[in-house]
Amino acid sequence: MLSAAASAIPRLRCAAPPRQASSRTQWSLLWRRPLSSSPNVAPAAAAASGPGALEPPDLPRLAKSARISLSPQEAEEFAPKIQQVVDCSLELALYDIENKPEREGLRKKDNSLMNYLHTAVGSSLREDKAEPFANRDAIIEALPSYDDPYIKVPRVLNSE
Amino acid sequence: MALTLLRGIRTQALFRANAGLFCTTRLSPLARFTTRVESVQTTNPKTAPKSIQQAAKEAAEQKMQGFEAVIGIETHVQLSTITKAFCSCPYDYGSQPNSTVCPTCMGHPGTLPVLNAKVVECAVKLALALNCEISMTSKFDRKQYFYPDLPKGYQISQFDIPIADKGYIDLDLPVEFGGGHRRFGVTRVHMEEDAGKLLHSESGNYSQVDLNRAGVPLLEIVSEPDMRTGIEAAEYGAEVQRLVRYLGVGNGNMQEGSLRCDVNVSVRPIGQSEFGTKVEIKNMNSFNEISRAIDYEISRQIHLHKESQADQIVQETRLWDESSQKTFTMRKKEGLADYRYFPEPDLAEVVLTSEYIDEIRNSLPELPEAKRRRYENMGLSMQDVIFLANDDNVAHFFDSTLEHGADAKLAANWIMGDMTAYLKDEKLSIHESKLTPLELSEMIASIKNGTISGKIAKEIADPGAIGAMVDKVLADNPKQLKQYRAGKTKLQGYFAGQVMKASKGKASPVLLNKILGEKLKGN
Repeated sequence: MLSAAASAIPRLRCAAPPRQASSRTQWSLLWRRPLSSSPNVAPAAAAASGPGALEPPDLPRLAKSARISLSPQEAEEFAPKIQQVVDCSLELALYDIENKPEREGLRKKDNSLMNYLHTAVGSSLREDKAEPFANRDAIIEALPSYDDPYIKVPRVLNSE
Repeated sequence: MALTLLRGIRTQALFRANAGLFCTTRLSPLARFTTRVESVQTTNPKTAPKSIQQAAKEAAEQKMQGFEAVIGIETHVQLSTITKAFCSCPYDYGSQPNSTVCPTCMGHPGTLPVLNAKVVECAVKLALALNCEISMTSKFDRKQYFYPDLPKGYQISQFDIPIADKGYIDLDLPVEFGGGHRRFGVTRVHMEEDAGKLLHSESGNYSQVDLNRAGVPLLEIVSEPDMRTGIEAAEYGAEVQRLVRYLGVGNGNMQEGSLRCDVNVSVRPIGQSEFGTKVEIKNMNSFNEISRAIDYEISRQIHLHKESQADQIVQETRLWDESSQKTFTMRKKEGLADYRYFPEPDLAEVVLTSEYIDEIRNSLPELPEAKRRRYENMGLSMQDVIFLANDDNVAHFFDSTLEHGADAKLAANWIMGDMTAYLKDEKLSIHESKLTPLELSEMIASIKNGTISGKIAKEIADPGAIGAMVDKVLADNPKQLKQYRAGKTKLQGYFAGQVMKASKGKASPVLLNKILGEKLKGN
């Protein structure tokens, strides 16, 4: 069921433009840790084995965590694609930004993504002003199961 | 202290004089008192009498049987912003279910979160009040798990770069529990959103969800495991509540759920550096319940240690049951949760400037700790200090009264005694009281220089209030009123008595008769 989506994942190019050192360093330090916060992954082992040597993604476990059903064939198909994403992220994180000269012009360029990420307080925030949603009826109609005035749900959400 | 000693010495001398035959001791009569003086001098003269405090301490130590408890608290504070954290829905406690919702907080596909500026402001305020280090940049993360009250399938929170960390809180333990000053560490403060409300139906295999609360902003405060007793933990919670109310960032009502505390308790033999197994306790709805739940859990764990069953203590979540006064195991969960945290891609970093932080720092009111120290330096007793600083409105009233020149101790007595009783009877809060700080200070001054007596000051001197009571009495007694009009003027005394009764003896007799006379003539 996911094969259509899988083939649509584009090839990611791993060369990234140099970024301003500021808070990026904090984030790149983050990525040196295992991506999953799961206690099953031993952080020490993963870090010690060097860059690009995280253990391969455990697809059945990932699928179970995300409550997505995968056939064994789909899992096999997906594994290398996810590995590719992980490798690319690692390469991005390890890209050396410390020793590159700071490019002053970067902020002034019309690079909307950069402007979005480097905002000071006030620009990507919203005023604390109420705007009640006008079409509540449409929301209620879209609910799969409604028990006025509550949303009706199964008692327990198991992975089954 | 000196006075008690003196009294003691005097009585002893008297005893000796009157009961010469019974005086068998060879010791000098002052010998007994010498040792007492030595021991008394080492205690803090401001705390409770040494014998009670010492006895309480010894009893507590005995109960612990050589163990010490290690307690940490996670507090969730619901912010009283107008709108939710990531959408513009209003939030009112008690609204019709599923009425304050929109596609964003309901997690519909294609929606995007936009952070409410007020949430950042509240976070910085609280972080400063908790003496934290503020992170100039912080970010949001997704905490992913599946539950019916979590529409998006993840909670937007802050995982590894919270907005503030490494703080502390200063507080004073209540006098009746031994008093004393404490400082507890605060590990971190971060912003996140609340989930909806899940109600389980009595029968049937379904539950009901109300998403009004989904997306409401929360501040999570994680404490260092510095508390050692149930009382310390309860007082920590109370001080957080006090701060939240002083700052105006939330209303801190445990009953409403706008202040929630989860407690972690473990015990270890005194002297051991490793922590014991920690147990989480939930479902405490008041500070008293927190205190009792912790005390119960501590004794449960110590008991298991004593019975050589320490391995029975497992890392789990237990619920406090108020009716049976015990903690119970929740349904055993399957393994530890894997929240798969990753940075929230839909939200920019929260970037602060030092000007922004300074502006907020300068706008902070005087905090409870500073107030308590200031009142203490005025010479008030710790009991008065704790009472006056507990509610910002009361402290403000007290300070205003002092500004008009009233004496601190007298003002404190009036506010704590008669005013509080009166406000409780009338179910008013202090800023609704008809007595203004200026009037109170004038009244105190009048008593002080002898113009009026304390008793008279307690009388109701409000002409409006008396007038209303007179009207009611006259209306309730038409027969007597008719008789009065017909000439039975002695009935004025009867009416006066009725009004006195209605005012519980507090109406000023002079004013009462004046108003009564006017009204009787007027009609």
